[in-house]
Amino acid sequence: MTVQVFKAIIISIVITLHLRERGFFLIKLHDVSKSFGRFQAIKSVSLTIDKGEIHGIIGASGAGKSTLLRLMNLLEIPDDGEVEINGQNLTNLSSKDLRQERKSIGMIFQHFNLVANKTVYENVAVSLQLASFPRKERKSRVMTCLEFVGLETFCGKYPAQLSGGEKQRVAIARALANSPRVLLCDEPTSSLDPNTTAEILGVLEDVNKKLGVTIVIVSHEMEVIKGICNRVTVLANGEIYDTVLIEPSRIQMMDNSPRYFVEQLTEGRVIADA
Amino acid sequence: MPEILIQYEAEILSSIGETFIMVGVSILAAILLGLPVGTFLFLLRKGQVLENRFAFSALNLLVNIIRSFPFLLLVVFLIPFTRFVIGTAIGTAAATVPLAIIAIAHYSRLVEQALLDVPKGVMEAAISMGASVKEIIVKFLYVEARSGLVLGLTTSIISFISYSTIMGVVGGGGIGDFAIRYGYQQFKTDLMIYMIIIMVILVQLIQFTGTTVSRLIDKR
Repeated sequence: MTVQVFKAIIISIVITLHLRERGFFLIKLHDVSKSFGRFQAIKSVSLTIDKGEIHGIIGASGAGKSTLLRLMNLLEIPDDGEVEINGQNLTNLSSKDLRQERKSIGMIFQHFNLVANKTVYENVAVSLQLASFPRKERKSRVMTCLEFVGLETFCGKYPAQLSGGEKQRVAIARALANSPRVLLCDEPTSSLDPNTTAEILGVLEDVNKKLGVTIVIVSHEMEVIKGICNRVTVLANGEIYDTVLIEPSRIQMMDNSPRYFVEQLTEGRVIADA
Repeated sequence: MPEILIQYEAEILSSIGETFIMVGVSILAAILLGLPVGTFLFLLRKGQVLENRFAFSALNLLVNIIRSFPFLLLVVFLIPFTRFVIGTAIGTAAATVPLAIIAIAHYSRLVEQALLDVPKGVMEAAISMGASVKEIIVKFLYVEARSGLVLGLTTSIISFISYSTIMGVVGGGGIGDFAIRYGYQQFKTDLMIYMIIIMVILVQLIQFTGTTVSRLIDKR
């Protein structure tokens, strides 16, 4: 009996180790460090992100959240350590191979970073051009991506004609165009109001559930992290303070009426009109 | 039409032609060489994709030196070089050499400025999508900076017209030279004033066109 239990344990350990070797992890940072001048932004951080998870990174301003995220597609070159995505070590790739790998790593930003002089359609299409996506299939691919984010009727508009939430949807469509394995999100909702934030988080959840894209999301907003992540890394002073598993709880949509704002401000207490 | 204009019609037309040739070559030089030089001035800067402190300083210094010359001195200074390139230092063709050189230096600075207005985030998005340097320039930088590039070129063209008026010293001809030789030196003030009016109209037209085009292509 004990022998059998022992055997089972050994087998499960072997299987687990095997899985971890064979692409169970999608992103693996190994002892990564990054300094800006004298400031050590990231101090020898090791972190693994599993396939299919929505991984949050939270911390105070200056904790190194964005830097950590930007190390994952080598927008910041690490001073030390290794970055591995899908079994491919990015740190020792030639610049040409690195560009190739980046095409399968999507990224969205706080300020959307759309090309203001390109239409919605062109903004999405450009990422296909960069990846030499077959010309004939480009149009239908762009439309599929825009439909996914609910903006299929916005093709001819320019970013200046869109709201913040719509811009971020276009950015998501652009990031999805080349069917990435992972989507890196750098404060994606930090310049949006609470309702739009909830909408964008909904879209990101769809990206994860329906398309099976792994998501890494950096935010300083606790609500955002709580609302969507399965696992969260808490960063402090360039080091991992803790990594916790959580149960995502959807953000409550907020009432947008002026009356609600007044109620929230006064906490329901009746005060005299100012 | 005033009699004096009819009297000098042939000379006026040929001097306008010379101005067009000199300014035309300057515009070509600005676009074909000033644009790339300005793009490198931008891309070699700290924090940009081709960051290279040494190359940036060298290019920056070269452009500054050319721009430091009072233009008349540059023309004289370049005479041996012009003779080497064109075979002569006199005439309209010879005049295009110093004009082309100042055009490159002039427009490259305005290109650099226009590119500096492109939000850093757009560059980052391009890099994160795996764009090569060439793709970053053509598909992102120039698209985003296009109205600034057009406005800069407009400013440059107007300067080129002004520079071209000096080229009389090396027999380059042009409207400015005609106004000086016939209007000023032969005391035909009315002729000089007519030439100034032609240049004012020309500059107005160029500025209007440039401003309109840059507004139409600006979707920011």
